[in-house]
Amino acid sequence: MSHFLLMVLYSALVSVFFAALWRRRLRDQAILFLQLFLGMVGGGLLLAWLMYPFPPGPPAPIP
Amino acid sequence: MAETEPQPAPAAEKPTPAARANPMLCAVLAWLVPGAGHLYLRRWGRGALFLVVILLSLAVGLGLEGKLWELIPGQPLSYLGTFACAALGVPYLALRFGLNYQGQIESQGYEYGAAFILTAGLMNLLLILDAWDIARGLKE
Repeated sequence: MSHFLLMVLYSALVSVFFAALWRRRLRDQAILFLQLFLGMVGGGLLLAWLMYPFPPGPPAPIP
Repeated sequence: MAETEPQPAPAAEKPTPAARANPMLCAVLAWLVPGAGHLYLRRWGRGALFLVVILLSLAVGLGLEGKLWELIPGQPLSYLGTFACAALGVPYLALRFGLNYQGQIESQGYEYGAAFILTAGLMNLLLILDAWDIARGLKE
């Protein structure tokens, strides 16, 4: 599974959890889910874009 | 000054399921099985949803052969990681002591899987606190 798909899956699970934990009405849960999910995925993509100019460097040695 | 007649005592309110619940039992159930605390409080939908979400997160972590934290003397971070993983209750006990699961450090998903497993444990910690608050009548 790619890193991006793992990030999307992780964001979805955490967003569903907190939406169900912190909100009672279905509409509020859906709004909070979208805010959290889009915030995490969008934030991850933004961070990746900001890090793009940096060289990856040599791979870390396997202990 | 005219005396006011004593008001009749209000009828005792019918206790809600949360009011009848034992908070300690609820917290123990919530620790043992993710979502069980809410199921005990008759929050059927939320309890089932929490159970699915946490077990799915754990399953993804295990599928990636992620790390299951264990205590390492002299490394305080390992205490925190172990505490978070142990919050999973029965699944943690079964993995640690039943299956002797540790994860595969050679696996590409070792660190990613660790994040999913740790998150599952931390989510269950929050559920324990939430169920405790509901059982004590502090939350709806």
